[in-house]
Amino acid sequence: MRVSRSRLLRLLAGGAAAVLLASAAGCGDDAGSGGGKQTVTFLTHWAPDQVKMLEDAAAVFETTHPNVDVQIRAVPFANLLSTLRTQGASPSGPTIASIYDLWLPELVRDAIAAPAPDAKAADLKANWPANLVEDVTKGGKAYGYPNEVDLYALNYNKKMFADAGIAAPPATWAELEADAAKLTKGDQQGFGVITSWPAGVVHPFLSLVASNGGQLLNGTTPQLTEPKVAAAADLYKRLVDAKSTVATMGQANANTTGPYLDNFVNGKTGMIIMANWWQGSLKQAMGDKYADVGVAPVPVGPSGTKSSAISYSWLTMVNAKAPQAKQDAAWEFLAWLNGPESGKNGSSAMADVLMSMGILPSRNSDLKAHEAALSDPFLKVYVEQLPNATPFPTVLGGEQMSQAIQKHVEDVVFGKATPAEAMKAAQDDAAAALQKANP
Amino acid sequence: MRRLARIGAVVGLAAAAVFPLFPLYWMFISSVKSPAELSEIPPTWWPRELTFDAYTTVFDVVPFGSAMANSVLIAGVGTLSVLVTSIGAGYVFAKYRFRGRDALFWTLVGTMFLPPIVTLVPLYWMVSSLGLADSYLGVLLPWLANPFGIFLMRQFCLDVPDELIDAARVDGAGELRILWTVVVPLLRPAVVTLAVFAFVYYWNSFLWPLSVLQSDDKFPVVLALSQLLSYATSVRYQSVVMAGALVASIPTIVVFLLTQRVFIQNISRTGVK
Amino acid sequence: MTNVQHQRRGARGHRGAGTLLLSPALVITGAFVFVPIVLTAWISLHEWSMYTPMSEMRWLGLDNYEALWASGNFRSALWHTVVYALMVVGITLPLAFLLAMLLYFPSVRGRHVVRTILFATYVVPTIAVALVWGNLYAPGYGPLDQMVMALGLDSVGWISDPDVALFSIALFNVWQMLGYYTVLLIAGLTQVPAEVFEAARIDGAGWWRQTVSIIIPLLRPTLVFVAMIAVINSIQVFDPVYLLTQGGPSDATNVLTFEIQRTAFQFGLAGQASAMAMSLLLVLLVLAGTILAARRLRGTR
Repeated sequence: MRVSRSRLLRLLAGGAAAVLLASAAGCGDDAGSGGGKQTVTFLTHWAPDQVKMLEDAAAVFETTHPNVDVQIRAVPFANLLSTLRTQGASPSGPTIASIYDLWLPELVRDAIAAPAPDAKAADLKANWPANLVEDVTKGGKAYGYPNEVDLYALNYNKKMFADAGIAAPPATWAELEADAAKLTKGDQQGFGVITSWPAGVVHPFLSLVASNGGQLLNGTTPQLTEPKVAAAADLYKRLVDAKSTVATMGQANANTTGPYLDNFVNGKTGMIIMANWWQGSLKQAMGDKYADVGVAPVPVGPSGTKSSAISYSWLTMVNAKAPQAKQDAAWEFLAWLNGPESGKNGSSAMADVLMSMGILPSRNSDLKAHEAALSDPFLKVYVEQLPNATPFPTVLGGEQMSQAIQKHVEDVVFGKATPAEAMKAAQDDAAAALQKANP
Repeated sequence: MRRLARIGAVVGLAAAAVFPLFPLYWMFISSVKSPAELSEIPPTWWPRELTFDAYTTVFDVVPFGSAMANSVLIAGVGTLSVLVTSIGAGYVFAKYRFRGRDALFWTLVGTMFLPPIVTLVPLYWMVSSLGLADSYLGVLLPWLANPFGIFLMRQFCLDVPDELIDAARVDGAGELRILWTVVVPLLRPAVVTLAVFAFVYYWNSFLWPLSVLQSDDKFPVVLALSQLLSYATSVRYQSVVMAGALVASIPTIVVFLLTQRVFIQNISRTGVK
Repeated sequence: MTNVQHQRRGARGHRGAGTLLLSPALVITGAFVFVPIVLTAWISLHEWSMYTPMSEMRWLGLDNYEALWASGNFRSALWHTVVYALMVVGITLPLAFLLAMLLYFPSVRGRHVVRTILFATYVVPTIAVALVWGNLYAPGYGPLDQMVMALGLDSVGWISDPDVALFSIALFNVWQMLGYYTVLLIAGLTQVPAEVFEAARIDGAGWWRQTVSIIIPLLRPTLVFVAMIAVINSIQVFDPVYLLTQGGPSDATNVLTFEIQRTAFQFGLAGQASAMAMSLLLVLLVLAGTILAARRLRGTR
């Protein structure tokens, strides 16, 4: 009895040792910088349907490039940056990464982002709008292919508008306030403000600021206490005081969905300022009721002359720490993926993926190829507003600045601080963050 | 009065049973609702129509099956290793005398206080410098010993009578032999307890595997679940995420239920001593 | 003393075996706990984004520590951690005690089942249940708010309202850990001699007096132990914040562990984050030292 038990234990211990060895052997890894097959990993945060499309595109590419194997790795949006940070510098990390333009300055400073080879840089210059090429260019070098472009607009529920007897969406802040008040009753709020998600808080807020003639930065100095900026905080305060905005209804979770989306989808929120990319979410969640969604430019403030929404973009970059052969394969794949041969009817495969989510592509020929789809009533307003958009500044320390502003805007929304106090504090925190990052 | 107390007790116990179960119930009904019903406001408390599609979808969209296998491998090896290191160290701390023993013991146990996030950055750097990024060994290596395990085993080893060990020594048995044939059999409840504890610990650990692993064919199920989260942005997949959450929880719940009598009885002894 | 002599004599022979048995745990803990602590201390004296090799970190001296005291975020994160720990202990301890009494005394059928159910929450992966709690906590239309509103009360907002969000995160922890603590306290109760309860009953002591003047004092070591575990557990809270609130709304749930993660991984300020980590470590050491000193003091009395 006792013998058999000890034998069992020995067996177990032996098994453990064997598995350990096996797993050690299993990691004898494939840094593979040799001349053979190049495995290129593509890090993204896209949803499964888009990942599938990307995988299909990669499979097509592999038929003409048999020595390249493209693997797609998807992580949740909330984990994308931390994944890049921990694994970016290791040679076995992702070869291609889809990144938010705000992250680029740091990646360039630390030499993680590889500058595009000359031929690819020329391709970019020739085929993309100049302001987007500018966005991915640091110190005279381009660092990747811009793909998705997002900007903000006012989304509203036509049915709720009709029920409240409002004929047209608001064009000014004054109309916005008046309409919001009319739309507010029972468990409905007139105007939704997003909380708990940095971009979701800061971008709509700054879109109102830009439509009031204000700007966030002058060089690397924040302008949050300027009257044209602070006026947006006052507007939020008035909306909250009038109960037209119910702060708790705007919560977003780590996946950038949650109550703010649910409330709009279910006709509990009359208006909200959101980016074009959520069209896909709205369609899926609303079904037939999607027909109720209307879009209008961001309302203009008292000091503003025209509507201007915040815009930002995403780009795909190549990891400078990857072996050269992998980098070369990666650039080839990106040029093809973003080029006119990879997709349907002159579109790039990338643009087909983006359009499936309602996201605006950026390559000139893609805008043309998808002209019909882009005249969809939802997207049309966004496309029309693109020339007037204010790009969110991509500066070192931008993420920290953004989260500092987020906190103080939320303080206004939740009544934790007066608009003046909040903007003063936001100014100080944002200035400190930028100063630390740009000594 | 007596009766009133009894009714109070029954009501209290019922509440005590409902409180833990409600979220699990909600997890289940969310996984069997249709996407349309799931995004309804207010939510339905029992699905109008049951659909188990989510349970097949979850195995399609992420490699959930192999992720379960990976978790079994990681949790299994981790558990065995924690048992080996804890029994060894616990035995020595309980039955050997040497200078600085207690200081060493409490220092080791004190690392229980350390939030893992504190050392995450250098730990990742060390493991990747060893070339172990994106490997099972990299996931396991830093956690092959566990302070709680050492603590638990030492407490139970203290109960083993010295006479038994001395008698075996007089018989001329070697130390390792004594440990295997005399001490370990007496520790059986503790071994089961620690095994369950370690299995649950490894199965549920999230932050470290997330930092170390890169290729999704090596992902344990908790990471597959976090991968599913990016799918949650799409309403169609919300029931799938819930189904995944439920499937991922089943092994630990089963292991716990199978051993609960021994486990609860012995894990509680850690607090008494 | 013969025992000691025996041990000494034995020690020579057993030393090899002892070293062999102890070293795996020591080597692993040394290499993967203590070395990283030293490295964290080293990083905390630098500026580092983690994108570059560690050898290229920029030396800052104690600047990061100075910046900590100037930073409102660090202080508020520390404060949130303290408040969170107090809430967890404040809710869990009385509740676990009550449940332990309920499960230990009355001979109601099914109490073993209840005990098992209570404990089961401890083994479910946090990430799996956090997802569900996100839905339970949805403002207005979530099941919890629906229940509250059915009682005629206002929507609570749970994790959407900065005034309650930290409490809601604490409640989630209570849900996870309550069974564990209850089981520990039941074990404590079994150590109280039955005659004590018997004597009290004959004495005619009421339930309340019996509890306050007899049971609680006898259970004190276990209560202290449970409180300590709850505090450790509270300081380490990360997953629910990361998964449910990302520190918001309005930074209300920004606890120290989350602030460390955010500073390092989102802002790319690993040096600053390491300075926070070292400060937290210092606080914990002081806390542990105080507890040890207090115990020793009580022991000598």
